[in-house]
Amino acid sequence: MSIKLTMPVFLQAITNDKETIEVSGSTVGECIDAVIKIYPALKKMLIDDKGKLHNYVGIYINGEDAFPDELKKPVNDGDTVHVLYTLAGG
Amino acid sequence: MLSEEERQRYDRQIIVRGIGEEGQEKLKQARVVIAGTGGLGTPTALYLAAAGVGTIRLIDNDKVELGNLNRQILHWTKDIGRNKVDSASEKLRQLNDKIEVEAVTETITEATVSRLLSGFTLVLDGTDNLEARFVINSYAVKNGIPFIHGAVNGFEGRLTTIIPGKTPCLGCIYRGTIPHIKTPVIGVTPAVIGTLEATEAIKYITGVGQLLTNQLLVYNGLRMRFTILNIKRDPACNYCCHL
Repeated sequence: MSIKLTMPVFLQAITNDKETIEVSGSTVGECIDAVIKIYPALKKMLIDDKGKLHNYVGIYINGEDAFPDELKKPVNDGDTVHVLYTLAGG
Repeated sequence: MLSEEERQRYDRQIIVRGIGEEGQEKLKQARVVIAGTGGLGTPTALYLAAAGVGTIRLIDNDKVELGNLNRQILHWTKDIGRNKVDSASEKLRQLNDKIEVEAVTETITEATVSRLLSGFTLVLDGTDNLEARFVINSYAVKNGIPFIHGAVNGFEGRLTTIIPGKTPCLGCIYRGTIPHIKTPVIGVTPAVIGTLEATEAIKYITGVGQLLTNQLLVYNGLRMRFTILNIKRDPACNYCCHL
């Protein structure tokens, strides 16, 4: 299944300025694993030492908040998964 | 009642459909806090002062530094070393001497937040760290005070309007803090988000339009794109689950 994973500007420094990366997967977690295979530096930005999503990273499937258990949420062909990174600047 | 001078000063916005003299009077009676007078807080304050918000309390414990001047547009070269709230309030009073501007040189903490925000009807986010935002969020939720949240990094920004008990609060959106880093910012980004915060404040006060509630605006200045994400209340939120 083809899923469009959309990265925040903050993480596009790692994805060579690519905003949307098409990956395959049937869950959010599989999609995240797939994008980490392409850009290994994303791993520590998204996933903690226990293999869970950092609590400052949000996941939105087709614009809807996927919290809780985001990584287990199923995705379907053509879905857009938006990765939201917490910003703190002002 | 608006004076003749106020009618002239605000003429162009009084004729905006939905505002009128009634809306202008609401702006005059409004009491808002702008927490922080940095990149976000200064454009927010500038436009709320220009619009005639009657009482604006500025809270910030910092002094103006040279490295602030690329984005904190109420602080100028001559202000380096001054308290930020003194620098900002001076310009706001020069812009509009018909409003009250309160300059408070303090830090918002759990110990001070009640004293600093009590008696105000709206809080706007001009802070530069998540810890202060969560302190404000906690107070706002407990006391039913709307909190307009903004944040920036580089060319990227966020915005949402929190109405306690009706919308997600900050704790529903952000489930943890991020490591402290020196945040990269180009001045136009907090200008965009701060001005949008002011827009939300004017809408809230006058009742015109629809607020950005239950939604998070994600601004991408590099691609000039505004994306809306639907946020939801977290039934287990540490801050607002009881509401």
